[in-house]
Amino acid sequence: MSEAFEPLLRSYDERRRSELVAAYMAVEHAAEPVPEARFAGLREPASRRTVEAMLNLSGRTLIRADRTSWTSGYRDEVAAELARDPACVPPAGDRAVLALVLIHSVAIPRAAGRLPDDTWLSPHPTPLEELRRRSQLPIGELESALRRLRLAGLVTQVRADGRTDGADAGGFVPGPQFHRLTPAARRRLQEELILAAGPDSPLAATIRARRRSRERAEQEAAARRETSAERAGVEQGDVSTQDVREEGL
Amino acid sequence: MSKASAESKADVDPGVLARARARVLGGASQAVTEPTPPGVVAASDGERVWLLSAWPDGATPALLEEYDTAPMPLDRSGQARRVLAAALRCCWTRLDDAPWPGEAAPVQAVLEVYGGMSRGDAELARRWATGELRRLSDTGWLLLDEAAGVVRPGPRVALWPDDSLGPLRDLLRRLPEPPQGVIAGE
Repeated sequence: MSEAFEPLLRSYDERRRSELVAAYMAVEHAAEPVPEARFAGLREPASRRTVEAMLNLSGRTLIRADRTSWTSGYRDEVAAELARDPACVPPAGDRAVLALVLIHSVAIPRAAGRLPDDTWLSPHPTPLEELRRRSQLPIGELESALRRLRLAGLVTQVRADGRTDGADAGGFVPGPQFHRLTPAARRRLQEELILAAGPDSPLAATIRARRRSRERAEQEAAARRETSAERAGVEQGDVSTQDVREEGL
Repeated sequence: MSKASAESKADVDPGVLARARARVLGGASQAVTEPTPPGVVAASDGERVWLLSAWPDGATPALLEEYDTAPMPLDRSGQARRVLAAALRCCWTRLDDAPWPGEAAPVQAVLEVYGGMSRGDAELARRWATGELRRLSDTGWLLLDEAAGVVRPGPRVALWPDDSLGPLRDLLRRLPEPPQGVIAGE
């Protein structure tokens, strides 16, 4: 794919080019978001646009973690597409364990006001015992699931800090991959957690209603496109032009 | 599939999706007869081909070191590296060649070599190393076939630039020799 990057990098001199490559590798492979102060390729909007275009080649996008640091993640439409592919989705057991960690380490502390609203990282570990009890997985399966989730950076193991008051007995928290969610993905995850934790709550009803109306709007838009494409096909014998025009509306 | 999802599917370029898929699967394999999507590195052993993300200008994630930036953390990374080295000692037998695709070696032989590299409780070392082989296999550094009791280099080894292999060859020459007469599957 080096050749795939070539059209994007060709116009830069050697120094700028290596800055862009470093920025690309950093956002793709660093554990945490990287500060733009350290990576010249992330400092200016113009070079960020090039890094973004490099990421786009494999369905990725730049994600701003805070005012001055950056990471990367899958674009929303690409993530949705990958999620439809069974080979790309982790096994149900792994997902169940991850959901338990999110409920214990994020949802519960957030509901209690101990965690800010828009973060998926947490200092509150989910104890292994809790995972064993709630997941109802045999211990061997639970351990394999945790191994895979840790390797994928989806959970991080926190060691007990040795305090005797039991405030921090160690366990698992959401891993560094949660930096890589786009704003829309963070919102979707938040909604899913509400639907799972309080399916009968008024908030869950609002989310379902909003999703239904969005779905309806998408279907209507698709139907409109289809009708106008048919009409255009009859009138002009040229479907694609009309299609493109409709897309632009 | 609903009309809406059929619409959004059409929005993603197939080449982009194929590269995204290769990244998310991290070295999944397919038969060599299947077409390889453009823009991915294809590591083939003659029968199957493993698809890996490609990086610009020959860069590797090792570049992060130059910028004092931590890569994804690996638990017990020292131990993982030693077990990988022990496995390569057994699977990369012709050191002048490239490590990929290498040869299959008995897991028992790898455990022996690892045992010879570590001090302390030999039985415990074997148990640790067995867990480490699984993790290295999960991450594409090795291909482990537990049923057959054999291990081979993983497709990510194919991404090592040739000019970075010198120190690794030197290191492997210094490791204990794999035991003779250990047969795969025993």
